[in-house]
Amino acid sequence: MNYLTKIALGVAITLALNANASERKDSLTIKGDMGIWYEGYGLNKSPGSPNPNFYSARRPWNLFRYSFNPILSYGKWEIPFNFNFSPALNNFTTAYGTKQNFWQFLTNPVNSFGFRPKIGTTEFLLGTQFLKYSDLSTGDLGIFGYGINLSPGKFRIKLFNGVSQSPINYMAPSGSLPNGVVGAYQRNQWMAQLGLGEEGKYFAGFNIVKSVDKISSVTSPPLTPIEPQENLIISFLANTTTTKGWKYNIELAQSFFTRDLHAPLSLTPIEDFRPFMTSHTSTSKDNALMLGIAKKGKDWEIGTKFNYFGAGYYTAGYQFMTNDRMEYLLNTHFNAFKKKMNVVGSIGERVGNLSRVAGPGLTHQLIANINVFTQFTDHFTLNTSFNNYGFNSPGLSGYKSVSNELSVNPTYTWNNTKMSNLLSGTYTWSKYDETTIVPPGTTHNNTQTVLILYVPTFFNSRISPDFSVMWFKNSAPAIDLTLLTATGGMSWKLNKKIKLKGQLQYSLSTTQPFTANKNLLATTGFDWEVFKKLTWQFSATANLYHYGSQLPGSSLTPVYPGSPGYFESTVRTGLQYKF
Amino acid sequence: MKKYLIILFLGLLLSVQAVQAQITLSLALNPRPDPYLSEWIYPVNGQMIISFFGGTVVKDPNVKFRTTILDQNGSVIGVSNINSARIYTLRQGVNQFTMADALQLQNLKFTGNVQNLFQRSGRLAAGQYQLIVELTNTTGDVVESKQTKQFSVISYQLPVLIQPANEAQLDAHIAQNMITFRWTSLVPNTSEQTFYRVQVFEILPDQTPMQAFRGNRPLLDEPASRGTTQYIWQPNLPMLDSIANHRFIWTIQTMDAKGIPVPVNDLNIQGRSDPFVFSIVNQTDAMEERSKRIENSTKH
Repeated sequence: MNYLTKIALGVAITLALNANASERKDSLTIKGDMGIWYEGYGLNKSPGSPNPNFYSARRPWNLFRYSFNPILSYGKWEIPFNFNFSPALNNFTTAYGTKQNFWQFLTNPVNSFGFRPKIGTTEFLLGTQFLKYSDLSTGDLGIFGYGINLSPGKFRIKLFNGVSQSPINYMAPSGSLPNGVVGAYQRNQWMAQLGLGEEGKYFAGFNIVKSVDKISSVTSPPLTPIEPQENLIISFLANTTTTKGWKYNIELAQSFFTRDLHAPLSLTPIEDFRPFMTSHTSTSKDNALMLGIAKKGKDWEIGTKFNYFGAGYYTAGYQFMTNDRMEYLLNTHFNAFKKKMNVVGSIGERVGNLSRVAGPGLTHQLIANINVFTQFTDHFTLNTSFNNYGFNSPGLSGYKSVSNELSVNPTYTWNNTKMSNLLSGTYTWSKYDETTIVPPGTTHNNTQTVLILYVPTFFNSRISPDFSVMWFKNSAPAIDLTLLTATGGMSWKLNKKIKLKGQLQYSLSTTQPFTANKNLLATTGFDWEVFKKLTWQFSATANLYHYGSQLPGSSLTPVYPGSPGYFESTVRTGLQYKF
Repeated sequence: MKKYLIILFLGLLLSVQAVQAQITLSLALNPRPDPYLSEWIYPVNGQMIISFFGGTVVKDPNVKFRTTILDQNGSVIGVSNINSARIYTLRQGVNQFTMADALQLQNLKFTGNVQNLFQRSGRLAAGQYQLIVELTNTTGDVVESKQTKQFSVISYQLPVLIQPANEAQLDAHIAQNMITFRWTSLVPNTSEQTFYRVQVFEILPDQTPMQAFRGNRPLLDEPASRGTTQYIWQPNLPMLDSIANHRFIWTIQTMDAKGIPVPVNDLNIQGRSDPFVFSIVNQTDAMEERSKRIENSTKH
């Protein structure tokens, strides 16, 4: 039975149960929203394409996206839908072919077709679901499949089975397809959670997550190094919150990971973990741990975290997770001076290369930041923040970087009978030093940013303007960049239903010793409440860019007699209906 | 008589030569093979070639391998078990084997910490090593041929993103003109020509960050200047506009001199660092909201 059949069966069972469980007097109610969103993009270059290619299109020419998110309620049943999809293929980090079949469309990570019928403590999960069981098992991937959540009494039971990666056949580069198609195996994933819990008080339970690439899912398999993989995670998770404001959480996990299912079966280095895993020579096993303690008071909170990820800890649930590291963090926030001051701060360290697989030394990364917001008077506030990031990788091929950033943001407001005024300034100073052993030396990279913002608000006018100027300077070896920008914006509430808006921005970007690049950015649009439940948003942007002597036409091939430039246009519109 | 003696001597010499030259073992090992030892099944890591010529004396074609790995100090860190080694039957002529056959991972026992690391990660620690392969008879007491090859293991750790920090909120007035990206270097910092690509993806309405990362085309995909771990992006996007996308997910892709993602210990074999999400906020809206929040909390 394939997935579609299983899903259809699940829906049929759901509807049948629905019919039995509901009484005739129950009425069907529908609430939620649906919408269509479109973005059109245009690019005209001088000189025109294809050569020289000094600027590339950065968006698809046309992009439609549809959403359908109703919640059906009937008797004791509640069925929320989550359909968000686009027919276009724009995958970049995941494999994609020249066109997609229906199954690939359903399982494309850009699309979501999910609904979750719920009655009492039983919830069916059908279609695309984003299921976060825990931080070490599964969480940020969309999986297309079917499952169930049960919570009888204090028991918490979750099961789900689906596909997290579409099958894509490999295609060699050719004239019509210069980059070819990388290809990917279909990745099947199932997961389960069994635990005890009480909402807002405690939870303790086990997770098990298994993912495996289906070798037969493609007729033309991807080339090395893309090999079929298998991954199993078992984790124990517990958290509790006390009435006195203490929070504790812990998760212990072990992963089994087979990097290449084509590698020979073997009981070394890792023995089989039956019935879940059969080991290959490419199988490894490692652990991870997360701990956290926090205490919350009336006007304050303080907490500490500790995380450890072994060098061989992998989870297909978080594909880009960095392993082979340990980190600790202390964070706090509190209010002071009758809540006129708010302080948020944290300090922590990340230690990497714990296994020494990437060299003989550990890497150290220090992260510290503090943000202080103070309201001195009803009219004057000051926000100050400081961030420090330091990274050190010792050894002959070592590297060190230190980033310090200080930002000060005073804001003053004043009023009279006709208008209020807001004047805000931001100054940011940033110093970024990088040191290498080979070649020996330190590069200093200094950045300063100044922003002045003025926002008048007229009490008897429907027009609300705002003005800002920004100056930015970056000084580093071989770089001396200055950016100067002036921006004016306005919104005009035409009537209760229509608001017009516009923005004009002019900027000069100068890299010494060249003349400035010039940019004009103009945006206009409206927000229109067409009916009580139907809104229409529209925005059109024109971006005109002219290069200075940094990119002279004479440097291009073929030579262009004038100054190169481009004109970008973007139209964005969305219709949303709430019901 | 002397002539016959010379002919007899030459004949004996040739026959001895034929016996001694029956089996020769040659290791064509990539000096920088894949750090994941299980990947040595692929020819890119090298080949083991055994030439087998029967000659005038009948020779048992069944052989075993004994594998030894030494670290840079010459200490033995791994030895295969000859008793449980697989028996190969050689064909007359040239016999080709993968480096995995020479390594015989199923039958190789590492020492202490090396075994622990290998079980946990499938790799050896970065460093210089020697691979010794001995070709023996089936009982392992006669070494027919032996070869030693040096190799180095180099593993990398991907850069960690620094700025904008994960879940950072950037002021729209500044961000629509300029956003500074910073990250740590590749570890170890290689003298080879590696470079970084900065990739930024818009999170479209109703999308999760990872959905955008896995399904969208990047708005920015540009190389940073070689040797630097900073990139200043001038987006020129109307980020103050209410309908514009205000959430982004970004990463660094680390490439070698040929433009191929560096081989690292990620699941995706893409050289992409753990991505971060940042949002664009209109400072004026945020200030008004914060003032209201403080005003409300003071009242309570």
